[in-house]
Amino acid sequence: MSRQEATTSAVIGFAEKLEGDFSDFYTVLARKYIENKEQFLSFAEDSKKNKIFIIRTYRETISDALEACFCFEGLNLEDFAITKTIGKDVSRSAALRLAIGNEERAIQFYTTVANLSTGLLATITMAFKRIAEKRKNRELTMRTLVIRA
Amino acid sequence: MPILEEPIGMMLNVKNYINGEWVGSKGDTVRVTNPATNKVIARVPISSKDEVKAAVEAAKEAWPEWRRTPPLARARCLFRMKEIMEQHFEELSRIQTMEHGKTIDESRGETRRGIENIEVATGIASLMMGYNLEDIASGIDEYLVRQPLGVFGIIGPYNFPFMVPLWFAPYAIATGNCIVLKPSSEDPISQIKIAEIAEEAGVPPGVWNLVNGGRTVVNGMLSHPDIKGICFVGSTPVGKDVIYARCGETGKRVIAQCGAKNFMVVMPDANIEKTIAACMTSFYGNAGQRCLAGANLIVVGANQSEHEFHAFYDRVVEKFTKAASTIRVGYGLDESVQMGPLRDKTKKGRVVDFIQKGVEEGARIKLDGRKIRLVGDWPKDAFLNPTVFEEVAPDMCIGRDEIFGPVASIMRAKTMDGAIEMIHGSQFGNSAAIFTQNGRWARDFKYTVECGNIGVNIGIVAPMAFFPFSGMKNSFFGDLHGQGQDAIRFFTESKVVIERWF
Repeated sequence: MSRQEATTSAVIGFAEKLEGDFSDFYTVLARKYIENKEQFLSFAEDSKKNKIFIIRTYRETISDALEACFCFEGLNLEDFAITKTIGKDVSRSAALRLAIGNEERAIQFYTTVANLSTGLLATITMAFKRIAEKRKNRELTMRTLVIRA
Repeated sequence: MPILEEPIGMMLNVKNYINGEWVGSKGDTVRVTNPATNKVIARVPISSKDEVKAAVEAAKEAWPEWRRTPPLARARCLFRMKEIMEQHFEELSRIQTMEHGKTIDESRGETRRGIENIEVATGIASLMMGYNLEDIASGIDEYLVRQPLGVFGIIGPYNFPFMVPLWFAPYAIATGNCIVLKPSSEDPISQIKIAEIAEEAGVPPGVWNLVNGGRTVVNGMLSHPDIKGICFVGSTPVGKDVIYARCGETGKRVIAQCGAKNFMVVMPDANIEKTIAACMTSFYGNAGQRCLAGANLIVVGANQSEHEFHAFYDRVVEKFTKAASTIRVGYGLDESVQMGPLRDKTKKGRVVDFIQKGVEEGARIKLDGRKIRLVGDWPKDAFLNPTVFEEVAPDMCIGRDEIFGPVASIMRAKTMDGAIEMIHGSQFGNSAAIFTQNGRWARDFKYTVECGNIGVNIGIVAPMAFFPFSGMKNSFFGDLHGQGQDAIRFFTESKVVIERWF
């Protein structure tokens, strides 16, 4: 999607896909790196919850009287796409670093859209902020795993 | 961007819903066309007066039992309706985009606003309560109860096919009345879906009836002695001269929410970036087919020198035009699109005529929406891009009449009083908004302006479900409004009981 094409629907659709991609990504990690299987599976599960939470918040908040088609002008969603494929011979620490990069991009996405969505009802902004916070914690956990790896 | 999946595949043959049955009509049918793709998505019958009569009789017959149904049991039907609507939220929203043309964000917003009315009406056990006072005289108590009246008619417009009938229907049935609903024949599918949901939710046969059609159905409702009141949303000529007049003659209650020409007043201290963003949704959302759409933008030069005022005016015009020129127009199921088509080719033609008149009357066209640029390859029949006029005078056609399309007329006023004078010169009084950071200006505006819905830094002054949708002058005919407590009062009679026991 090119710059200046992000309506609220597109942003929510992107967030939905992002969480789906994260869920797949961590499921693959859990399969590959047994040492942290439980941790990765819980991340995958959490992404599914995030997805439901975002869609629910949007649907419960959206109103025809809001600037839904206009408040994300200039946002380039492609900037926040994550790498979800992991090569065959990638080491655990390399995979963890990749995951940290992905988390950073997601944090950046949620923080950006939280700031841009203040023109909408508060719950959408709060939802984006909440997920950004959760992801910051996840990133910290991931960094700890890298140190241990 | 890819198009979201269309929920309507095969062409639908729309039926009437009378006394809990889906019945075919004997009348001719007309086509419902997706305005973005030109595909025929349904055929809708033009029902006869007899079919209206059958629906009213069914409603009248269902009424005694329904009014005796405890309010909580009635509310539970609404709770179930809400639940089913939530489950089908996306389908219901996409149907609106297909049958009307609005963007998917707008459709979802409409779905939510419709559901909110159901949510408010589920509180009927509290909303419908009366009041009492003991000992108004020695040993005598007095109390008030609200009682339903019987059968109500609801006539929906094409611009909000899902939401508008829900400004009335949930309150009507929650208070113990029965309804006969006529959706717009241009986009009836949303209301068909809602009637299906009412059926699934266990609303008893005869309580919620739907009759498709046009004038004959409207006249059938207006002349039927068993219809106690009419709720109408549509144009001022029909609302005033047909609905309001006929309801007056036949003694029916009436809510007639009609046309508009809404003014947005931009003061020199306004936050211009945010004002322009709010104006884009206001002027061009729903392709301008909204009774709360911004139509005239007045740039005010209060406390500014002549030079400063000119510079401020030019800045607003430039920013407004630039923002309008970047609006992406296309099929609403494309998530990158910000404005959909008009409902049909005829409506587009009417808007094009207004644009031509504006040019002929000497307004300066800054952005000509007749030059069509679309996202995607769609037939251009019903599409227009945003239009911006400047140096518009309030007595020009484009400054005075309701265009109901994506056309903005920018005017200037030296003072806020001058701007208010322009607003008061309009025959309409639906909504007006001021954009300012100055509390005094905002207060004066709220206090003085004769419009039913006033906004302060709000582009679309749309009351939530728990507030009445107001309107004044030629924008509203009646006393009580749709939504909230007003609707409860509209659908009930206040009965006073004075009681003494010897």
